[in-house]
Formats: sequence, structure tokens, C-alpha cells
Amino acid sequence: MRSNHFAATLGIAILAGAITISSYSAQDPPRKITVEAKRYQFTPSEIDLKKNVPVVIEFTSKDVDHGLVFDDLALTAKIGKGKTIDVPFTPTEAGTFVGQCSSFCGEGHGSMKLTIHVTE
Amino acid sequence: MRLVSLFLGLNAALLLTGCKVSHPGVVEAKVALAVKHELTVGNKDERNPVQFNAKVLTSGKEAFGHYCIACHGLDGQNTGVPFATHMSPPVPSLASADIQRYTDGQLKWIIDNGIAPSGMPASHGILSDKEIWSMVYYIRHLPTAGSLGEPEMYTH
Repeated sequence: MRSNHFAATLGIAILAGAITISSYSAQDPPRKITVEAKRYQFTPSEIDLKKNVPVVIEFTSKDVDHGLVFDDLALTAKIGKGKTIDVPFTPTEAGTFVGQCSSFCGEGHGSMKLTIHVTE
Repeated sequence: MRLVSLFLGLNAALLLTGCKVSHPGVVEAKVALAVKHELTVGNKDERNPVQFNAKVLTSGKEAFGHYCIACHGLDGQNTGVPFATHMSPPVPSLASADIQRYTDGQLKWIIDNGIAPSGMPASHGILSDKEIWSMVYYIRHLPTAGSLGEPEMYTH
């Protein structure tokens, strides 16, 4: 009787472990979004994200140093000349957010913007 | 024919003399200042929409360092700028009463639009609105003259 109980407990434990492992491995890696920075624009200049869905934004500078800063999003980046960086980001609020190049890059620096649309 | 030659000669002399850089007289300087403060520099009533804090002040100093320092120096008071007093009109110290008397909105307007015919260029689009408003805070909180040294471009 006691050994039956032990076997049942062990079986449940193994099953639970298997379910956990299988659900973990079934999780998709965060979607990667590629954004190029080049005087004086980000390409694409607008991206769409889902609230609470993690993504990785891959920024590449095609020329000089660039940066990115938002007033209302916890998303900042410094993109060195000719470099590529991955920036993990999970939006937690829905809305439209406009970011701005934060590293002075020349005469069009002030109008170099990236818009992120976050939907529920 | 002789009269025409004389007329053209006088005009040429006037033009050449007029091109020469010289310091404005006291009256000219006072009139120009009054005109700028009261008539030509707009946006008098706009308030700085950016909330002031230490981070914004640092951003303003950084934005100022992008290229304003070439004429105004790191401290906004022309330290190390070799031509500041040789321009017509001379580059003013941003800490001076004449500049500090502008409202925040007027300072933003000047940075956006520049001032003709002085050497002050328009920076709208070159800098973002937030950077310009942050610079206005920096102009209101300039360091002691000379405390930041000279711009690197003039020290080589």
C-alpha cells in the first residue's frame, strides 16, 4: 500500500516535471525587430508592439554614432558608429510613443525620430 | 559720364566701408537690443514645458556642447572663443543681464530661429524641442566663467 502511494507520488512528480519542461521549451524566443539608424532617420520609422510581449530590437548604425531615448518608455540605446546592438524590451503600457535620436549626429539630428505603437 | 563714374566710385567706397566689421556704437547697440527684446524676438509668453531636474540640466549642458560651444564656449560666456569680441555684434555672454532678461520662451525662439544679421544661426530641426528647452535651463544655470576650460577645438 505504501509502495503504491510512493509510486503514484513519483509518477505525478515526473508528469509535472515533464509538463513544466515541455511548456518551457514551447515558449517562443522574443521576436526580433531590426531597426537601422542612418542620418537622419530610423528605418523603419514606426514599429508595432503588443503590450507585455517581450521583443528584442536590433539596432544597427549605418554611419555615425546614434542613440535613442523616449520620454515615456523605459527604452534607451546608444548605437556606436557602424555597430549593431540588441536591446530587449517589453512594453507595459499601450499607446503611441515617439523617441528621438539622443546622440548628436548632424544637421537633421533634431528630426530623427522613431515611433512605437503599443496595442493591448 | 564723369558724374556717373564719381557716383559709382562713391557707391563702391560706401559698400566696401559698409562690409568692414566694426563694433556697433552705443546707440546702435541699445536700439538693437530694445528692438530684439520688445519687437522681433517672439514667443515671449511660452513657458518651459520640460520639468526641471538635475538630469534635464545635464542634458541641456550636453546639447549645448554639440555645437553652441564653438561660439559661446563651454560655459556660455565665450571662454576660449578667439573671435567672440571680433564679431559684429560681438558674441554676448549668455550670463549677461541683456541675455538673462529674455524670457524662457524668447530664448527658445532665438535658438530655433537665430538672430539676423548677427552670427546666431537657426537650430530648429538640428536639435529637438526637448533638447532646446533643456538648453534653456542650462543657460539659466551657467557655471562660473572659465570653470569648464576652453573648447577642445581651440586648444590644439
